[in-house]
Amino acid sequence: MTDHTVKAYDLELQDLARRISEMGGIAESMLGRAVQALVKGDTRLAEEVIATDARLDVMEREVNDKAILMIARRQPMAVDLRFIASTIKMAADIERIGDLAKNIGKRVKAIGMPFHHQSLVNGVTHLGDMAQERLRMVLDAYAQKNLDAALEVWKHDDDIDALHNSLFRELLTYMMEDPRNITFCTHLLFCAKNIERVGDHCTNISEIMHYMLTGEPLVQVRPRAGAVIGDDPAAGGRED
Amino acid sequence: MTPFQTPVTAQDLPAVRIDVKNLNFFYGDSRALKNISMQLGTNQVTAFIGPSGCGKSTLLRVLNRMYDLYPGQRAEGEVLLDGKNILAPGVDLNLLRSRVGMVFQKPTPFPMSIYDNIAFGIRLYENLPRSEMDGRVEEALKGAALWGEVKDKLTASGQSLSGGQQQRLCIARTVAIKPEVILFDEPCSALDPISTSKIEELIDELRENYTITIVTHNMQQAARVSQKTAFMYLGELIEFDDTDKIFTSPREQRTQDYITGRFG
Repeated sequence: MTDHTVKAYDLELQDLARRISEMGGIAESMLGRAVQALVKGDTRLAEEVIATDARLDVMEREVNDKAILMIARRQPMAVDLRFIASTIKMAADIERIGDLAKNIGKRVKAIGMPFHHQSLVNGVTHLGDMAQERLRMVLDAYAQKNLDAALEVWKHDDDIDALHNSLFRELLTYMMEDPRNITFCTHLLFCAKNIERVGDHCTNISEIMHYMLTGEPLVQVRPRAGAVIGDDPAAGGRED
Repeated sequence: MTPFQTPVTAQDLPAVRIDVKNLNFFYGDSRALKNISMQLGTNQVTAFIGPSGCGKSTLLRVLNRMYDLYPGQRAEGEVLLDGKNILAPGVDLNLLRSRVGMVFQKPTPFPMSIYDNIAFGIRLYENLPRSEMDGRVEEALKGAALWGEVKDKLTASGQSLSGGQQQRLCIARTVAIKPEVILFDEPCSALDPISTSKIEELIDELRENYTITIVTHNMQQAARVSQKTAFMYLGELIEFDDTDKIFTSPREQRTQDYITGRFG
């Protein structure tokens, strides 16, 4: 696309995009470290993740301030208007991902010990890897303004849901086996739910990108892995 | 090059008031409008936007044959006003201009009293007794949202008013003749923001009774006051669509470049 006649306008738009990428990078690393802390029972790493969240909150506020100021100053139109409005929404999604990673960090501190069941470690690690991969893909798609890549993320959220479901069933089995597992498994359930929610935020970002790049909302129905077990907004999704 | 034209069908519009068909316009040898076709709906505001020299003011001047005042300017094609071609020879220009009123960029009050500024136009077309004339003047000034400010000084000179008031006086003068269509050629470019808001509010009210077109360089103004927007460039109609669509996701790259400030 050609440049604006007013050069500073282009610089401001680039600055917004850079901030979103930076926020995304921080959220991605928080999620990775939170999952690592969980499987290793590393409370110090969990502390670090919790502390990082404040930075993401500040960055979200800055993005909003800059975007509002640009609307006031530049009166953006068409593609610029959609970009700025989308940036505000994306910053909110990324900030939420930070919150979810922080929540996992808090649970790690509550659990206070590493896992014993290797299959649970594998399951949670795999779920975390998948969510992190989705986040990375959607952020790359954003940086390159690549709609197809963003839609790939949007289409394939169902495998995160499927893995989350199977993990859920496994945890139920452990709880039924021995009631002493219940506390630990419940914490883990919430952690898995938090990771699963990250996937949902990634699909949100894909949808926002669709509107940003085409001007049309994404109205198709997303492929789903059956009913998502425990898909209750009160569980994991909204806790802070 | 064929200009991209969004088909606007009769279903889209409440009723077509003006139907422009394959309009070409020439200043001597230079072609200022190229095959313009568009329909303007009754009770709608249609905004013309585009860079200087794109032909938007020329198009406006065709709609009431203002160009006829100048030799060497001619239009080809058809402009149907309620189904009748106004470009046809033998059209009564005075009658046409009473049906298609125009408000210019700079307020142009006549050097006479506020009252006579309004009455002057009415007298050209109608012979009214004094009492009826008073009523028409009041009605016109009310229609232009100026009555409250001038009702106690109708004998004062029209030129003693502020710029914004003068522009509303000109709108009152236009409205007084009871036209069907009002053409606004950058009506706010010489006004402060408050006067501009008053004119915009007025345009929105006038829409109930008139078909309105407005040429403006102020994109936000076009977005605020109009229901349809036409983007013109180098004498071509590049895109014509719902205003909401044009300013959020236009189809044409040139429209996008222009409204986002990426031009030239």
